[in-house]
Amino acid sequence: MKTRALGMVGLLAVVIAAIFGLFVVPPDANQGDAQRIMYVHVASAWLAYLSFGVTALGGLLFLWKRDLRFDAVALAGAEVGVMFTAFAIWGGMMWGKPVWGTFWQWEDPRLTTTALLLALYVGYLLLRHLTDDPMRRATRAAIVGLVAAVDIPIVHFSVVWWRGLHQTATFGDPAKLLHPSAPLLFVVALMGMLTAFTIVWAYLMIRRYQLARTAWQIEEHGRLGRISAARQAAVRPVRPVAEPHPEEVGS
Amino acid sequence: MNDALFVIAGYGVILGGLAVYAVTLARRLRAAREESLRIRRDARQGSEPGR
Repeated sequence: MKTRALGMVGLLAVVIAAIFGLFVVPPDANQGDAQRIMYVHVASAWLAYLSFGVTALGGLLFLWKRDLRFDAVALAGAEVGVMFTAFAIWGGMMWGKPVWGTFWQWEDPRLTTTALLLALYVGYLLLRHLTDDPMRRATRAAIVGLVAAVDIPIVHFSVVWWRGLHQTATFGDPAKLLHPSAPLLFVVALMGMLTAFTIVWAYLMIRRYQLARTAWQIEEHGRLGRISAARQAAVRPVRPVAEPHPEEVGS
Repeated sequence: MNDALFVIAGYGVILGGLAVYAVTLARRLRAAREESLRIRRDARQGSEPGR
């Protein structure tokens, strides 16, 4: 019931933030209406980082505690993170074409490392289908999740470390957040969308975690059923094989 | 293509995608819970004496 309420609050918040970003905020002097895409693009990118951070943390805790609940948390983070990464890439492309003049540029470090991040976590999700053993699956996934997490700071700092098309972080400096160069309405719209998306993210994470736990229970029932059937088959009396006649043995 | 169409495409795919994912997730969870309930009910009936 509380989760459903969280979902409703998230939905309402996204609707309000979208209306604010689309109809209340004026067009940017340089970017025009295209800057409105920034609100959903930045929010998606932030939640992609957060999701994969949760996946890495869940994997680490699983390796430490060997508790499958942490694996379920890691899985939830990976699936939700893949979705938000795809949204961040899509939003960036839709903003890039009118502002940069191109949808995509492989030479740009931020774009390329983000595409790599997406590929890594799609791989993480595919890897989970390779085995039915939950402990083995969780161990492999945790290791891959931790290795893939190395790309998160690379994506974030790529705009600082290398020169590319993508601009540096808007709120990298806390002073910028307190004294933004952009009009206050723009900042409110961005913060509003960040908050709304984060509420929706929390709702989706809880639901995906619940699904992972339920699926694991079903899997466990199936495994116990197969073990029980195998045991019954093992104790069933075996039909005696007719012994060969002594003359047959001698021939 | 003017800016407005890019804005519509950006918001449409992202917000629409969020909605589709949320609905699909809710359906998957409901189906999994029903399946889990059915398995537990079957297991309980199977373990009842006289069956």
